[in-house]
Amino acid sequence: MGIKTADAVVIGAGVIGSSIAFRLAEQGRKVVLVEKAGPGAGASGSCDKAIFLQSKRPGIHMELALASRRMYDTLEAELEADLELKNDGGMVAIETPEHLDFMRDFVRKQRDAGIAVELLDGNEARRRQPCLSPHVLGASFSPDDAEVNPLALNTALFRAAARHGAQTMTHCEVTGIRASAGRVTAVETRRGSISTPLVINAAGPFAGQVGQLAGVHVPVKPRRGTILISEAVEPMVNGSMLCAQYIAAKHLAAVGSGNVPPYGIGLSLGQTESGNLLIGGSREFAGFEKASGPDVMAAIAGHAIRIVPALAKIRIIRSMTGFRPYTGDGLPIIDRAPELGGYVIAAGHEGDGIALAPITGILVRDLVDGKTGPFLHALTVNRFAVPIPA
Amino acid sequence: MNNPTICRCEDVTLRQLEDCLAAGGTEVSLREVKLQTRAGMGICQGRTCLPLLAALVDSTGRGLPQDAGLVRNQPVRPLVLADLARFASNGGGEATRCSG
Repeated sequence: MGIKTADAVVIGAGVIGSSIAFRLAEQGRKVVLVEKAGPGAGASGSCDKAIFLQSKRPGIHMELALASRRMYDTLEAELEADLELKNDGGMVAIETPEHLDFMRDFVRKQRDAGIAVELLDGNEARRRQPCLSPHVLGASFSPDDAEVNPLALNTALFRAAARHGAQTMTHCEVTGIRASAGRVTAVETRRGSISTPLVINAAGPFAGQVGQLAGVHVPVKPRRGTILISEAVEPMVNGSMLCAQYIAAKHLAAVGSGNVPPYGIGLSLGQTESGNLLIGGSREFAGFEKASGPDVMAAIAGHAIRIVPALAKIRIIRSMTGFRPYTGDGLPIIDRAPELGGYVIAAGHEGDGIALAPITGILVRDLVDGKTGPFLHALTVNRFAVPIPA
Repeated sequence: MNNPTICRCEDVTLRQLEDCLAAGGTEVSLREVKLQTRAGMGICQGRTCLPLLAALVDSTGRGLPQDAGLVRNQPVRPLVLADLARFASNGGGEATRCSG
């Protein structure tokens, strides 16, 4: 086996770690990508397919998503892969007057930020999305929202990293980080030691645990989500869809009084090229307990049927439960750890990992190259001087 | 029959699976093959193709010593969304038993 050496070791082969490994390897760096299970075994393999811009908070969150969205335009060519990228727009369905007020304000701020988004009344919304229930009051619509196959994306990033010379070690857990004189010197794995001056923690919801291996505090905690998957059916959803409750739940906004669905439920709906519907979703704090139980599934089903009645007759064939890496302010951490030289954190993308994977690879590359900029300034770990809210 | 269909639900052929396995690397899990090819992702949840997938992975010599297989999440059998939604009012505890 011998002692391996690398310029950088990336921990985690989800979309984030694979994107980082690809960009670093592309520069000619000697990269080892280590993954506890297979590529995309965690959050990246348990998520929906939307690249939503209009769900982002105006400001840095939105600018980050926009910059990353632009990178998708050339990504298929760069990765030499079909990512099933579709620019087919997205909408947010609005059911109550309170949500209408909330979304009117949200849309105004987004338009000020330069996002192409408009508020449709109920009939206009149903014209664009005929499956919507008659009680839906309206919807915001953006032609800039897009879709991608996250599994294809993960595989393509992983293989592109390997093609550019990154060595991939899957089904290989990292067991320790060695340091000397305040700097990283090696990564210990189940398959031996890798001598390296640089480690990048891209372990998503497990980033806190991977941080602990080196005494680095990474304030990321798992936020559980479940998605129902239907049998393949004829096309019935145009683009991607969310509901206003989803936006409120995502941004922890209290809208209206009472009537907040349990388990952080909010509709997310999309249809794969194969015809399967992805029907989400929930947002809960339950540690790493995977079994979410039938109550959550029932609540997701009821919520979805209310907004899209035609779903009632469709058969669900399976479900996915995963853990989003939650930081508390909706933004990831992309920064050098203050405790240890040569230790970079790139985690905490919550539900935006797919949307932000392209730019995260670039930002980590910039960080490693010693560059800085407004995004890296906004994504530091020390912005969490106080404990993250529960 | 030099390219038989291995996963009938998702129309995944032997050649597609071989291409996936040819991409290289070290050990490979059944879940990994599923995520990359869609084999086992369809309506039968791999009940039909799992033994074939396992044999294919084994034949490469790269199978995991202890592969967890394909985890089947609820519902155990396909279930109409309206029936699933009904469990909310019945209380979740019943749902597991009723879902068959």
